[in-house]
Amino acid sequence: MDIEKRGTVTIIRTDERLDAIVAPQFKDTVKKMAEESALHLVVDLAKTRFIDSSGCGALVASIRALLKNGGEMKIARPSAQAKTLFELTRLHRVFEIFDDLDQAVNSFSS
Amino acid sequence: MDDELAVKIEVPAELKLLRPLNLFVRGLMEQAPALAASEKLLDDMELVFNEAFMNVHDHAYRFGAKGRLSVEIILRQDRLEFRFEDEGESFDPNLIPPPDPDETGERGRGVWLMRQFMDQFIYRSDTNGKNLLRLIKNLPVPGR
Repeated sequence: MDIEKRGTVTIIRTDERLDAIVAPQFKDTVKKMAEESALHLVVDLAKTRFIDSSGCGALVASIRALLKNGGEMKIARPSAQAKTLFELTRLHRVFEIFDDLDQAVNSFSS
Repeated sequence: MDDELAVKIEVPAELKLLRPLNLFVRGLMEQAPALAASEKLLDDMELVFNEAFMNVHDHAYRFGAKGRLSVEIILRQDRLEFRFEDEGESFDPNLIPPPDPDETGERGRGVWLMRQFMDQFIYRSDTNGKNLLRLIKNLPVPGR
């Protein structure tokens, strides 16, 4: 997982797997950042070929923490596996999802 | 592949084994032509295996007991079956509701996902304290 700042937007790039092994670390990192400021966050899933329900849970916990603190979260470049998972768990109705990273970064209102 | 390939292993239900087991099972599944031919099907079945393992880890042994888990993978040309047997807490899969987008809880999606991807989801607890989960997927056979 690595973190990049692009203007007022923070991008988190997840690794090959977003599963139960790394979900707690992901969740804690976002929660900490969310509590520091109203964060505009893009989770870039381009490198992630496998997400499980724990990974989904970590994304849900993250968006909840961000919204609670006046932030926003977008998801960029999910794999076909991730898209299927979001649809089956109805999370595609919770997350704003972009196939293009720049579009996700530029989608924040201010 | 031969008519049937069956592998049974007994492991502690520990998180550190999740990825090595996923890798092993994915390699095994590639022996079946229907699975080898479809990256999507392999991904789906890897996810199901992953969720079933985590279900035992998170729920059956949720009080921190280092429980044993028996995992059996039975592979035929036309069928894949996972059998997970544990001695932890049992649960009633019928009480788990489908995901609700307005209810953004962190947990409770694993059983739903297993049910979505598999043709059969059979769970039973016996009086000796053993829980058995059977997950069965019918595979498309080329030329049939």
